[in-house]
Order: sequence, then structure tokens, then C-alpha cells
Amino acid sequence: MAHKILYVEDNVDNMILVRRALEARGYEFIWAQNGTSGVELAETNMPDVILLDINLPDIDGYEVARRLRNSGKSSLVYVPIIAVTANALRGDAEKALAAGCDVYMSKPINIRELWARVEGFLSSVA
Amino acid sequence: MTYLTELQCSECGNLFDPGIIQTFCQDCQAPLLARYDLEKASRNLDRDAFRVRPRGMWRWHELLPVQEEENRISLGEGDTPLMSLPRLGAEMGLRHLYVKDESLNPTGSFKARGLSAAVSKAKELGIKKIIIPTAGNAGGAMAAYAARSGLQACIYMPKDTPLANMEESRIAGAQVILIDGLISEAAGMAGIKAREEGWFDVSTFKEPYRTEGKKIMGYELAEEFHWRLPDVIIYPTGGGTGLVGMWKAFAELEALGWLNDTKRPRMVSVQAEGCAPVIRAFEKGAQFCDYWVGAHTIASGLRVPKSFADQIILRDLRDSHGNAVAVGDDEIIQAQKQLAETEGIFAAPEGAATLAALIHLKESGWVQPNEWIVIFNTGTGLKYLK
Repeated sequence: MAHKILYVEDNVDNMILVRRALEARGYEFIWAQNGTSGVELAETNMPDVILLDINLPDIDGYEVARRLRNSGKSSLVYVPIIAVTANALRGDAEKALAAGCDVYMSKPINIRELWARVEGFLSSVA
Repeated sequence: MTYLTELQCSECGNLFDPGIIQTFCQDCQAPLLARYDLEKASRNLDRDAFRVRPRGMWRWHELLPVQEEENRISLGEGDTPLMSLPRLGAEMGLRHLYVKDESLNPTGSFKARGLSAAVSKAKELGIKKIIIPTAGNAGGAMAAYAARSGLQACIYMPKDTPLANMEESRIAGAQVILIDGLISEAAGMAGIKAREEGWFDVSTFKEPYRTEGKKIMGYELAEEFHWRLPDVIIYPTGGGTGLVGMWKAFAELEALGWLNDTKRPRMVSVQAEGCAPVIRAFEKGAQFCDYWVGAHTIASGLRVPKSFADQIILRDLRDSHGNAVAVGDDEIIQAQKQLAETEGIFAAPEGAATLAALIHLKESGWVQPNEWIVIFNTGTGLKYLK
């Protein structure tokens, strides 16, 4: 069965690029357009990896990461979270890691690096 | 004229038209590199003819990306001195130690080369306003070349960037925006402004031509060493255009058939202990760098938490059988003093870092007394005075 990747991202262009890249590698792609629905989708779909934009229209990515890590669903406490941001604010990376993200990537997202990081997480879980 | 034919994605290999404005590969989100018809260039060009041309980077114009002479924006960059370091070499037990002193470039740093190429090409492509995030010297260089070309310039720089960089940018008419953060955050903000207001972003590797200006350092070295390359090149790494550019130059020189000996140098990347993403990735055998959290060093040009071209840098280092060395700020200060006291060169901290790294490499036996070694001083220490 294909591994599921959830991408929490409000920018449709970014989403399309990442969707195309991940589906090309055979992953099942799920998309949430804001933080609240991202948490809900994570709780109902149990993704194997989460890509999380930090600048979201409702709650920010730090809050999403904190809610996931404090979720009643135990798998979400450990699911790999890759923070993805335009990195326009001081300390984005530090805050993302402190909120519970495992890795920080700044936009533009290098696709080969994304593949490598997702595969790295999945192989360490398997 | 130029022998430029196309731009190529550094990852997927797809080709792009250099006759229109390009940034980076939108599929891979990876840098583009310029490709030339080197076979034709090899037939038509005589390497020894370049020596008698007027000095400067643009004497290699056939191998630079600008088509029309009128679009070349020059302030006299390039052809910086390659000097032997006999007193320092004797102290260290190294017989063939050299410095390529890039502080003699306009605006006092190696950034002049890349920005001369990028601004020239921007002008040729009809771009009117350019924006850059900078750790310092690139901003000053862009402001100067933008002024000379009549382009509008906007610069984002950390608020703790050396004062000289701020002032040289402002006096050249650039809009300077100081930010509370690092170059990575400056890049994020510059990117947003570029998208919203139509500025062309000349961030490191987010346009294809700064690397081309930097690569000429490799051409100059080859010519200065009589078409043989040194055994070791030690180079400070922030964004990595110089290292990537020189490695590209060596491949081009080989394809042109201009080298008397095709043995390539071992490339050494130098970073500060307080911001060493390339060194960490190199040591781990990783393909990519992790973003460096909490970057800090006195060498402002080395405060780059992650380069957009990290995978190319790592690939080139490994292909060259090179090395990666992190040095402490105290070692940088000591090396800066040593270089000034023994050879009279007041190096930028980034340049002094290469000497600090060489001391490590000598102690570990990675470099040998008879090897031909070039350290790069990338800028003048005068720009870092408080």
C-alpha cells in the first residue's frame, strides 16, 4: 500500500508542485489548505509523513505541530513532520523545531531533497 | 560575442533558453548552469591570445553569458593578483603556497565578479530593477553595478552587517532594508517583495549568471599556473558560487583542451564553527545540508544556514576528492593577524578562515609540503572595521 503524505499548505501553486513530485514517486497525497483542517485530516487519515507550511491563514504551523504532538492519537506524536517555509521571519527554523517538527526546509523546496527526506523517514520507520 | 548556448538544470538536466529571463528549474527547484558550445570555442579561440587582451574578467567574454559588448557592465573586476606567500609558507613548511587576493576587486570583494556578470545579463534581458538578500559584500557589489548600469536596486541585509556594506550600498543609490535576522530570512523577505512588486531576484543560484562571473577565477588560476592547476584550493563557503564556479571552469577548460595537465585540484570548503552546514553534511556523507540553526560567526559572509546549491557544493567537493573544514572565530582572528604580519595582507575574516583551515590541514597531514596550494582571500579586512 502506498505511503500517505499530508501537505498542509494554503498556496495552491506550491501544493501542485509538491503533489506532482510526490505522486510521481507513488505516494498517496492528501492536502489541507489550513491548519485546523490539517490537524483534522491528520487525525482521520494517519499520514506517514506530514509536510507543514508555517504561514497558514488560520493557526500557524507551529501551533499545528504542537497540536499534532499533543494529539490523543499516539501515531501523531511520532509522525515525521517536515516544516516548509518561505523563511521570512527571524527564528522560523528554531521555532519549528521547538514546536515538534523534525526537519526544516525553506522554499523553494528542492524536489530531490524532498524525496530524499521523505524516503529517509519512511525507511527509518519501516 | 558569447558561445553561450543554453542553461541546464543542475539536477534533471533539462535545457532552458538563455535568450529570455530565467531563474531556476521550476520542476526541480534547483539551480541552472550556463552551457557553452565549447567544441566550437575550442576551434576558434586560442588560449594564449587572452593574455594580451586588456586586463579584467571580461577578456574572457566569449565564455561569459553576455552577447553584446554594450551590455557588459564593468568596474574593472577580475585579474586579481595571485601572490606567492614565501614567509608564511616557510613558517608553515609549505613550499608552494599562494593567495589569490580578491580584495583588489571593485567594492573590495570577490562579489564584484558575480554581480558584474549577473547585472550585465539582467540589462541585456531588459530587466529594470533587481533585488538581493545579502550577508554584506554582495549587496555592496550589486548596488555599484546597478548604479553603473542604470538599474534600480533593492537590498535586504541583516542589521548586524558591517557598516561599510550598508554605506556603500546606500551611496550607490540602492534601497537598503535592514532586517532582524540572517541572510536566509533576508532571502525570504526579498523573495516576497520580488513576487509582489516585480523585482528580479539575483539571490545566489536563483539566477544562473553570478556563477559565471565567479568561474573566471578558475580561468585566471589556470592561466597564471601556465595551464596547470594547483593541487589544493582552499575556499570559504557561504552560498558557494565561487567553489561551484571554479569547478565548472576546470571542466570547461578541460573540454576546451586548454590544460597542459588535466589533473584537478582538491577543493576545500571552509566554514565557521558557528555555521557549518556544508562541513556537517560532508562529514556525514549526506547529499544535502540541514538548515543550520542559530548561525553565528564574525565572518558575516559565512553566516549562511543553508545554500540553495548545497547539493552541487557537496558533489563538487566529493568529485574533487576534497575536504571540508570548520574553524573557530578565534582561529580566524589569529589567522587574519598572521597573514597581515607575515605577508602584509589585511584579509576579510572569510579569507582569513582559509588560512586557519590550512593550518588544520597541514597539522593533519592532508596537505603535503611540496604541494601547490592556493588560499583565497575573498575581500578586504578594511570593510569589517567597527
